[in-house]
Amino acid sequence: MDNDFSKPQRESAFGIIIMGAHTLIKIVKASFFLFIIAFVKMSSTSFIYLIMSILAIILISFVFAYLSYLKFTFFLDKEKQEFVVNKGIFNRDQVIIQLDKIQQVNINQNILQKIIGVYGLKIDTAGAHGEEVSIKAIDETSAYNLKEHLLNSKNVTEVPSETIHEPHKAEEAPFLRISTWTLFKVGLTSNYGQSLALLTAFFYTLIYEGRQLFDAFKINKDEIQNAITGMLTIVTVFILIACLLIVLLIINLVRTFYKYFELEISEHKNTLLLSSGLIAKKNTLISPNKVQITKYSQNYFQKKMNMLNMSLKQAHFGQSKKGHEMQGNTLEIPGCNAGERDELLKMILGKSPLRGKTFIPDWRFLNLPIFFKLILPIVAFLIMAFNIPEVKPYISAAIVYFMAGILMIYISYRRHRISVSQDFIIKTSGIWDISNEIVAPNKIQAITTFQYPWHKGVDVGHLTLHTAAGQIHFKYGNYTAIKQLVNYWLYQVECKNENWM
Amino acid sequence: MSTETFFTNEVIDLDLLPKYEEIQLNRPHPDYWKIICINLSIFFGLLGLGLGSLLLFVDEFKPNAVWIIPVYLALIIIFFLLFRLSFKKRGYAVRTHDVIYKSGIIAESTTIVPLNRIQHIELNEGIFSRIYKLGSLQLFTAGGQSGHIHISGVAIEEAKSIRDLLLKKLELLENPITETEA
Repeated sequence: MDNDFSKPQRESAFGIIIMGAHTLIKIVKASFFLFIIAFVKMSSTSFIYLIMSILAIILISFVFAYLSYLKFTFFLDKEKQEFVVNKGIFNRDQVIIQLDKIQQVNINQNILQKIIGVYGLKIDTAGAHGEEVSIKAIDETSAYNLKEHLLNSKNVTEVPSETIHEPHKAEEAPFLRISTWTLFKVGLTSNYGQSLALLTAFFYTLIYEGRQLFDAFKINKDEIQNAITGMLTIVTVFILIACLLIVLLIINLVRTFYKYFELEISEHKNTLLLSSGLIAKKNTLISPNKVQITKYSQNYFQKKMNMLNMSLKQAHFGQSKKGHEMQGNTLEIPGCNAGERDELLKMILGKSPLRGKTFIPDWRFLNLPIFFKLILPIVAFLIMAFNIPEVKPYISAAIVYFMAGILMIYISYRRHRISVSQDFIIKTSGIWDISNEIVAPNKIQAITTFQYPWHKGVDVGHLTLHTAAGQIHFKYGNYTAIKQLVNYWLYQVECKNENWM
Repeated sequence: MSTETFFTNEVIDLDLLPKYEEIQLNRPHPDYWKIICINLSIFFGLLGLGLGSLLLFVDEFKPNAVWIIPVYLALIIIFFLLFRLSFKKRGYAVRTHDVIYKSGIIAESTTIVPLNRIQHIELNEGIFSRIYKLGSLQLFTAGGQSGHIHISGVAIEEAKSIRDLLLKKLELLENPITETEA
């Protein structure tokens, strides 16, 4: 293949297989249970039709894949600094991406692509859909070549002084590598929430689809329900909970390993190259100046083990994307130690962030959470308890809830603070996972301040900083100080006219 | 870019910076209140029509009239009061480098958008706004839904001149950048 991509070209011919398989998997996923039901209930005469329809689906998806392969071309417009993609089977679509608007380039390989020996390349801008361009099959050298071109042309537009430093830096030498042991610790200590959500979603589909199966097989649901409720004694409930916790932990470990196996970060000509993945290898390239919010978080266990999770948030317009954690606009780097964090921060932000003047919230911060999360539910619970005799023995639970709640709200109050220096704003918050979000003032898009009328006398107010990657709130601060800060940030944003992306 | 080269790192006296909170804000045009009233009247008119026809023609519904009519009337009063209050609280100002918008019935919130962060500008005119020669101006940033300003009830001439002013400034901001890039 030629090297400069200036002429329109197709992706690798293997792309037909990849795309065909892709559509096929989608269809199978959507109609999996339908097939099972059909399979079981079908009389033998119509069996042949089923096979034929399956074959037809396979054929159609590959014909479509072939057509879209023919129509899919891409090239690099050097003059205009644009990447142009033509696609569409029946209608002609043209996607044009300005090179300096590219946020990240992903080079992936899933199992099928690994077998065939091709790579997938995705280009991500700040647009609403996430991946604007996805090339499904491209051989390795072309993929890295194209990546190089996409980034090199970007270097031209950037400040030339950066390129002078270039030769001194060791290229491609990863300065951060997450070992298997660290990954194991990460899996044990973080991201429970996501795994829990995954588990819930899994059980939900299981129950939902299971019900449809029962309906299909006309199995008596009441019998099963009786059997289940019969099994539920206190001991079995505890065993069940323990089992669930272990399953959760295992899922967490597997997920962590799947996503972050052999995570490496290297610096590559002004850009960061992140690569990770157990089965499907993912390579992500981002330029540090496109990172809007840099965040690191740590909980108690992780503190003891000297590790923390980092995430780099990039701009996203419109709705935030779900289920695209690694590929989306937030890049997660789990399990780095303090030294690696500082190095990474220095790379992304230009210098290591210093904590400046720290602002803490007023004690009134406690009022609303205590009222809405403690007093209101407890009063409701007590009213219920005094009216329903069955609930009465559990009244002591209210005390436990109250104590735990007070403690958590108090911790969140103690942790909630914002620290401002000339170059950075660092917002600290959290109860269990304590997170630090770092923003440079030139990434601020808009500022909102607000105050309740009853706080006017005590000079307490709230602050929201809007950035392209989300908001940063500081609540119940000294309003005079907040106003002063706002004036200062406005001055910083407005006098320099720096680029935020 | 020239500011960069002359950049010195002196301590800035925060008290000498221009204060956003002391700016005299422009109020929405008085005619805008009429538009709010028209919109509310249409809404409650339709609601009243629906309820009225239900009460008149559906016999099972008739006993409920005792509480429906007072609630309906109370809602009208509450809505008009709330909108009147929010109308009174709104204010906007355009400074050399940013736009300020203040609103809120209970909590007064002030949003400031620096001009060099504006992505695009929208000027809308509704049917009733046209009658009173008013328009609403929207300023969008990359900060998503929350980071955008919607100023309604501005006299159309004024809105247009603000829009032109902002566009001119945006162009001025864009031009030096494109020159350095080329």
